[in-house]
Parts: sequence; C-alpha cells; structure tokens
Amino acid sequence: MPGMHRRALLMSALASPVVLRHARGETPIKIGMPVALTGPAGEIGAQMRRGAEFWAKHTNAKGGLLGRPIELVIQDTGGDPASCVRKAQDVVERDGCRLLFGMTLSSEALAVVPKLAEWNAVFMSSDNGDGRLTGSSLVPNFFRANTSGPMGTRAVSLYLRQAQFKGFYAIGMDYAWGRNSIGVFKDEIQKAGQNFIGDVYSPIGTKDFSTYIAKIRQSGADACFIVMQGDDNAAFLSQAKQYRLPDKVQLLTEIVDLNSIAATGDASIGLIGSSRYSFTFPGAANAEFVEMWKKEYKTVPDTFEGEQWQAGQVLAAGIAAAGSIDAEKLRVALEHVEIDSIKGHVKIRACDHQGEQQGFMVKVVKKEGAAKPTPELIATFPADRVTPGCGKMTYDS
Amino acid sequence: MDVLPFLVTQCLNALSQAALLFFLGCGLTLIFGIMRIVNFAHGAFFMLGAYVGWSAVRLTGNFWLALIAAPLLVGGFGAAFELGILRRLYGRDGHAFLMVTFGLTLVMGEVIRLLWGVEALQVQIPAALSDIVFILDEPFPIYRLFLAGSGIVVGLTIWQFLERTRLGLLIRATSQNAEMVHALGTDVRLVRSAVFGIGCGLAGIGGVLAAPMVTASLGMAPNAVIDTFVIVIIGGMGSFLGSMIGALLVAFVQVFGSYYFPDLAMAFMYLIMLTILVVRPGGLLGKEA
Repeated sequence: MPGMHRRALLMSALASPVVLRHARGETPIKIGMPVALTGPAGEIGAQMRRGAEFWAKHTNAKGGLLGRPIELVIQDTGGDPASCVRKAQDVVERDGCRLLFGMTLSSEALAVVPKLAEWNAVFMSSDNGDGRLTGSSLVPNFFRANTSGPMGTRAVSLYLRQAQFKGFYAIGMDYAWGRNSIGVFKDEIQKAGQNFIGDVYSPIGTKDFSTYIAKIRQSGADACFIVMQGDDNAAFLSQAKQYRLPDKVQLLTEIVDLNSIAATGDASIGLIGSSRYSFTFPGAANAEFVEMWKKEYKTVPDTFEGEQWQAGQVLAAGIAAAGSIDAEKLRVALEHVEIDSIKGHVKIRACDHQGEQQGFMVKVVKKEGAAKPTPELIATFPADRVTPGCGKMTYDS
Repeated sequence: MDVLPFLVTQCLNALSQAALLFFLGCGLTLIFGIMRIVNFAHGAFFMLGAYVGWSAVRLTGNFWLALIAAPLLVGGFGAAFELGILRRLYGRDGHAFLMVTFGLTLVMGEVIRLLWGVEALQVQIPAALSDIVFILDEPFPIYRLFLAGSGIVVGLTIWQFLERTRLGLLIRATSQNAEMVHALGTDVRLVRSAVFGIGCGLAGIGGVLAAPMVTASLGMAPNAVIDTFVIVIIGGMGSFLGSMIGALLVAFVQVFGSYYFPDLAMAFMYLIMLTILVVRPGGLLGKEA
C-alpha cells in the first residue's frame, strides 16, 4: 500500500495540468457503506446493499451527480457497533469517503454518529429506527430519509383508533427494542381509551412458543401486537398458525416486509402492520421504480431496497442543490430538500433532520393464483400525523 | 380455558418439546459415551438436518422422504467426518476435539449460508399432520402430537437397539472398556464411526422435525448446542436414559415455568442444571459422581 501511494503521488506530479483537470472532473463521488452483511441482520444489510448498488448504477447511467460518477465502498460490519465504527473510520480515512450510507442497526448508527463531525462526513440513514437518532442523539451531519421506529408504531396506533378491538395483548422479544416498542404501543392504546390487557416477553432465540400462545389465548384479547424479528418472528407466526390463534385473535405487528413473509409463508396471511415500503404502494413513481427493479433483478424490491433508493434520491437532491459534497454546504442544502419519491412526498426537516413522510398500514393477503402472500395497502396516514414533533419520540395526541 | 384442558395441552406441549431435545441430547450422549469427546458441532448437524429436510421436501414434495433422507445424509456426513478427520486425533487430549468440532461448526455454518442463503426457510407440515384436534375442547396441532409420538418411538427403538442388537452390544461394551473389545477382535474404530454417524443422524432427524415449527435458519446451531449440553449435563454424560430424563425435565420446567414466571423463562434451564450439579456433580445418571 505505501508503495502504491508513492507511485500515485509521483504520477500526479508528472502529469500535465490539463490531464489533471480532466481527471478531477471525473473523480468519482465515493460513498462509504459499512453495512451488516453477515450476522442476524445480514438479510437487511444485503437489501440495503442491493438498493444502494441499484441506485448508484441508475444514477451513473444518467450521468452521475455533478457530472461525477458514484462509487460505493462497501464493508461488512457483521452488525457489531464496534466493528461498524472501525469500518466507517476505514472508508473515511483510507478511502476518502465524505458521504456515508449503511449502518444497518441503530446500535451501529448510534456508535458512529458522534464521529461524523470529526470526519467531516454526512451520513444519510436509510433504515435506522431508533428515535434518538433524530432526538437526543442528533448530530448536525446525520439525516434520516426513512420511516423511524416511532413513526411505524404511530401508524399502527392511528390505525387501531379506527378499528375496534375489545382488548389488546402484546408479545415482544425480551430486549430493548421489544420492551420499548410495546411500551410506546401500550401508551398509545391507553391514551386512546382502549383496553390493554397485558404483555409478555420471550427470550431471544425462543424456539417453542406454545406457552406464550396459550397465554395470549387465555387473556381473552381479540388483538395481539407482536414485536419480533428474524427467526423468532418466523417461529412465533408458524406456531400461532398451527394453534389456529389467528382465528380468534387479530395479529398486529410493527413492520411487515417481504422477507418475513417469505420466512413464514402462509402463516403470515392476515397479519396487519405498518410498512416502511412495499412494492404495492400506489403512485406512478413507485410503479416505474418496481418495473426498473424487476428488469434488473427479476423480482420485486423489498422494504429496505425501496428505503435505500429513497435515501439515495434524497441525497442526490441535496448534492444537486448544494452543487458540492462538502459537508458544510451539503448539510445546509439537505435541510431544505423536498422530493416526490416512491413513497410519496418526502421533506427533510431542518429542525431534527427527519424525513417527513406518510405512514402506511398493510395487511398480508394471498391473491388467487399467486405463489406467495403479499402486503396490501389498507390505510395511509398523512406525514404530519405520523412524524413526531421536532426531536421527539412520542406524540401529544 | 379451564384448568384441566390447560394442563393436558401444556403437558403435551412439553412432551413434544422434550422429543426434540431428546433427539439432540441422545446423540450427543451416545457419542460422548463411546468416544469421550464433546461434539461441539452437534448443533450444526441439527441445523444441516433442517436444511437438507427443506431441500428434500422441495425436490420431492414429500415430508416423509425428507424424514428418511436427512438423517441418512447427515449421519453419513458425520461418519465421514469421523473417518476422515476425528480418527487422526484419538491420541491427543480433549482440546483437539473441541477445536476441531468447533471449527466444523463454523465451516458448516458458512457452507450452509453459501448453499441455502441467509433467509430463514419455511418447511410445510405434511397435509396429514397439518390439522388440529380438539383435546377437551382446546385446539391442539396434530403435528405436535406426532412430535411427541416420534420421540417415544425413536427412544424405544434406540433402547431396543442398544439392548438387543450386536452393534448395540458392541457400543455398550466399547463405552465400558474399549481396549478389551479391541482385544477380543472387534474393530473399535468402526464402532466409533458408526456411533458418530448415528448420533449425527439423530440430530439430523431432530432438525427435520423442528423445521416446520421454527423454520430452517442459521441461528439454529448455537441455540441447539447449548440446550443439548444442558440436557446431557443434567442427565449425566454418556447416559442414554439420562438424556431422556434430562430432556423431559427441561421441557416440563420450561413450559410451566415460562407460563407462570415469564420473566424467568431463560433462567429455568440453567437453574435445574445448577441444582443438579450441586447435588450430583456427575449428572442424574452419570458415572463420575
């Protein structure tokens, strides 16, 4: 490496000024992407990578940004915050990236954001859910183009105010996310004057949910809110179906995505939840995106692929407005970005850098003749009702 | 739900869970009994069983074929691993086995990731077992009854196999005094390969049977291996009957414990293990007390 470096210096010293200017004109815009490609969040990370690669390819085909091609520098973090900070430092200091994508888990993002100022780099989140990132942990160089966790839960609770259920039960994975989400949910349900019967938490990696299913059944609730992901989610839904739980109880969840539908198969039919992005969302922009995606990958885009595309479009609009990728200028420009995206209108707020956008509720259905169940849009809520107050994670009404 | 139907269905649940734990624990304990090695890769064989089962169901559309193919393939792979690699290590101390079988876990995990991908794979329950029955007016999945039943059938089969067949006799003899068996003209090395293969094959059956309940996923191996160790430690290393009792004990305590004290769900298994280790350091039926 040091040898190469010396050679590069020598080459540039020898090159004529004309050649140099030409070369600078085509210098790629490097975007660093430390992303979890292995570990439990590997599937989400893989989606983010595909989304980013597709966006970069599409943008480059249209002439790039500011006439410069986009180059992604992708690194696997394994979903580990310490490793993510190291990889982010690598792409910034070694590869010279001043723009960042990725950081699959909120814990990774929370570990990286304090460093952004020092690195003079801007991070555009496409999937981080933790409300604190645009709240108590907000830094000037962080932007969130995606729907946050509180916004997802909010969409669910707004939907439940319309739908009438007699009593709610909740089951979550026994760690921060499960307990936080159910806490927010319980709060929302009780504020709406509805009956919250009880909650239970299963240890991460639980294989047998029969006891929990018996508990939900015994509670007499007619709706159950599920906060689970990955293997636990798949196991719970399959077993719930085996016990015919959905016949008695409407199952609700925070996020419905194609990946968890694929893992649970028909067991997911009937499930109602919020969706950050689905290929079934209405609008010409989304239809066009889905067609392009199908041409490239022979399948429809999943949640985090769509979210990553939107994050790319927001970043592109910011760079175009700033006319530069300099963090200072880009930050100011991004604070006023408004675009019409595949999810509808998205507006970045200057006050907390959250993208204001609609909230969506979907129900998993299996159309006649279809091989797989798909999410069907059942309700949309306007951005101003879904997005929390500036820097907040909770809602006043 | 009334008390009686609740108790009955939960007991059946516990039995079905015990069956899965038994498939794992029994194989591990057999291997330990004969070879005095702890097979760290046991969870990976369980996981491989689930993935092979998924592929077999996909290719043939027949769950029963998967149930035959998976243990044969997984057991064959286990036996081949013993023949090819473990056999070279018998002169060394226990650490070598720990390292090699742990290494195998990592390799198998990565190979499975490459072959089958990172997404969890759903295995459909065969149509004949996908329905529910009403037990005292409570719906109960037939598949769980089938699991409990298969645990009993396999348990009895292995017991009879160990007691009544020639290979069973050799296995018991080898676990007691390998040198003597060798001196009497039996190739102990073959017995070892066979036992390793059978143990892995049992884990493979467990994997196929578990797949419709928990999906085939990359997280299976580490979870399974911990549960298995706990069962084998409770029952006593190398004791076949011990692994059965250990599986039942863990399953019942977990089912009822997590119902009445959900916050302690994770701790129960370890509490039983600790208690038993304090009272009987060699496990319930272990020899080296």
